Amino acid sequence: MKKAVLAFAAVMLVGASPPAGAQNAAERAVEAAKQFAGITLNVTWEAGLQANDPLNFSGPMWEELTGIKINVVEIPISELFTKTLAEHRAGTGAFDLLNVVPAWMPDLAEAGALEPLDAFIDKYGYREDLQDIAPVYRDNQMAYQGTIYGLPDDGDVLIMYYRKDLFGDPARQAAFKERFGYDLAPPDTWAQFKDISQYFTENPPHEGFYGSAMIRSPGLIHYYFQERFRVEGGEFFDADTMKAQINSDIGVGVIEGWIAEHEFMPPGASAWGPIEVLNAWLAGDLAIMGWWPPPGRWSAGYGDFEILSFVPESKVAGKVGYALPPGGAPELAAGFSLAVSSGSKNKEAAYLFAQWLNSPEISLQRVQLPYALRDPFRISQYESEEYQNLWPDAKEYLETLRAAAETGLLDLSIRNTFAYEEALTRAITAAFGGEDPQKALDRAAEEWDKITERVGLEDQKRAYADWISKPNAYPN
Amino acid sequence: MSVAVARHGDTGGFNRWADRRFKYLLIWPAVLILLLVGVFPFVNVLVVSFQDISLVFEDKSFAGLLNYKRLFTEARLWQAILHTVVFTLVALPIEFVLGLLMALLFVEPIRGRQVFLALLIIPTVISPIVAGATWRLMFDNQFGPINQILGWIAGEPVTIIWVLQKGFVWPAILVAEVWQWTPFMFLLLLAALSNVDKSQVEAAQIDGASKLRIFFRIVLPAIKPVLAIVLLIRGLDLFRLFDVVWALTQGGPGTRTETLSTYAYVQGFQQFEVSYTSAIAFVVVVLLSIAIVLALRRVEIAR
Repeated sequence: MKKAVLAFAAVMLVGASPPAGAQNAAERAVEAAKQFAGITLNVTWEAGLQANDPLNFSGPMWEELTGIKINVVEIPISELFTKTLAEHRAGTGAFDLLNVVPAWMPDLAEAGALEPLDAFIDKYGYREDLQDIAPVYRDNQMAYQGTIYGLPDDGDVLIMYYRKDLFGDPARQAAFKERFGYDLAPPDTWAQFKDISQYFTENPPHEGFYGSAMIRSPGLIHYYFQERFRVEGGEFFDADTMKAQINSDIGVGVIEGWIAEHEFMPPGASAWGPIEVLNAWLAGDLAIMGWWPPPGRWSAGYGDFEILSFVPESKVAGKVGYALPPGGAPELAAGFSLAVSSGSKNKEAAYLFAQWLNSPEISLQRVQLPYALRDPFRISQYESEEYQNLWPDAKEYLETLRAAAETGLLDLSIRNTFAYEEALTRAITAAFGGEDPQKALDRAAEEWDKITERVGLEDQKRAYADWISKPNAYPN
Repeated sequence: MSVAVARHGDTGGFNRWADRRFKYLLIWPAVLILLLVGVFPFVNVLVVSFQDISLVFEDKSFAGLLNYKRLFTEARLWQAILHTVVFTLVALPIEFVLGLLMALLFVEPIRGRQVFLALLIIPTVISPIVAGATWRLMFDNQFGPINQILGWIAGEPVTIIWVLQKGFVWPAILVAEVWQWTPFMFLLLLAALSNVDKSQVEAAQIDGASKLRIFFRIVLPAIKPVLAIVLLIRGLDLFRLFDVVWALTQGGPGTRTETLSTYAYVQGFQQFEVSYTSAIAFVVVVLLSIAIVLALRRVEIAR
């Protein structure tokens, strides 16, 4: 399989290459990197499916082109930040290239763990190619305090998937309109989302079918809170005092809304993680659900590789519509940027590998890998005819991702973001477990204030000001 | 002659000296390793606990009692300690009584004893985090067998969310913990019961003592030292309870099932409060060390 993929990639690279003499970003990186032939670059990557890209595709291809070996250090996402910072603190120089979730960038940059990339970008003429990256990723996931520390490399965003066959059924449309007084369509508001969930749960096409399911598990639920809270008009902090505002009526309303929606979701869905939601969706047991971009590909049956054997066979191919979530401003929810470790002894080579991976030519191939989890993040990828022809609805899928990349909301990214997320997550699960949402959020807000105090009010104010100055910190 | 004697005497003295010292020579590598892996981290934890280091902010200056003051004002920590103590007080007697009953059942020869013994100790040899993950699947509200079995009994689908619903999370943890560690209790108590002097039991039987009287007056006193050690080991294990809680609930929902260990883990590895976590660790080690010494003295083992 590996050989076939590499051969495919080589053909694609030749096909995508500009005329001789006019080197593209990928070719420039390869040419320059040849001087470092023989070295090994240690590259951190999220363990699991994500790592199949450098292990089976880009790593071997880079070695063949430059003679530089890639050693992939797989690290679970929950430990990626800790390991990155711990190795930096210990001064081991163990890693050369880093996969960094953009929300971590302030902490890592302030700690001096990341190498500024501006000089490399200018040296290797990559600035123009960055303009092809969708603005929401380019303007928000690349720099901290005006310095570029990472190349946005993954179009993570939480979109909605719905059963267009059921939504388009005239009998259901009439019945829905009669019951709720408006047309059955992907929801514009969360109130409509609840109506749709209720309708399909009460009128299922088969036994075991439910209106909706959303990811509710600890570790991820805070992303959904961040999105809905801001869409409903909430602000995390008072920008002047940095007092936490998550326990406002809006915050409480988000959690109460979720609890009300659980009534029309599968039993136990209040504790469902991404895999449970995905399984129910691919089995054809849900009318609408929210996830990152990969189910768009898997639902269509694209990605039938051995490596994806954990994904159930899709029973919804050809029946899936794509939409932005209610409010039209989806959470970007993690994502990855490629950064160079400040402790690396091979910074230039590491940067060149990052530029090559991130280049329009190579990244187009990487986001089409059926087994990896990198999602489209460049304009040229959304417009790629090759990608648009991968399955019948791929064009519509890419259009939705492009729209999401225009309005997508940034994850909160200030100092010690982890601590804020952890406190918020605990409040949400406490409310799911029966505690009064107001009480749970009041406690979380108190903890947020303590964390802010611990970080230092002025430092955090500065980081928050930097974050809200970005175009998509709050809905426009 | 005298010279030879003197030399012989010298050699003998040296040999005796060497004999006395040789044992130290042999154990010093082990002592050194113990010091390196035990004392050094302990001292380092103590030093760090007086600083203000987190993974994100590295302030190595002396911070006084900052972290120790925080220990006393952090309600969440005290809640975690309360959870840990209450859980220990509930789980320990259950494991003990079940382990003892099983041991009493197996102390007499029964058919298939070896096979049953091998099967019964399986839970103890499984990694706790694996056992916890397995129980999470068992308690899964959608596919887990526990809800299915309860559904058969109830005659209608049961959809208890064991890892989330109030009133069910602690029982779920208790079941998993008791399942895994009762066999440990059972095994040690069985060994102790097997060594009780049978002649005393027989003499009491001849004198007409009842089974209960024999158990409380002869058997129980005879196994008391082992019993104390078993309770001490399990008590300490329960005080450090982490794996099964983490695998099942991660201390949630909210902090409802947070124990001292999961709290320390969250502080250390999710909030990255290195100095504060060091203060917690130091206090816990000191308190547990005192408890162990007192307990050992109480059962007259330390002497």
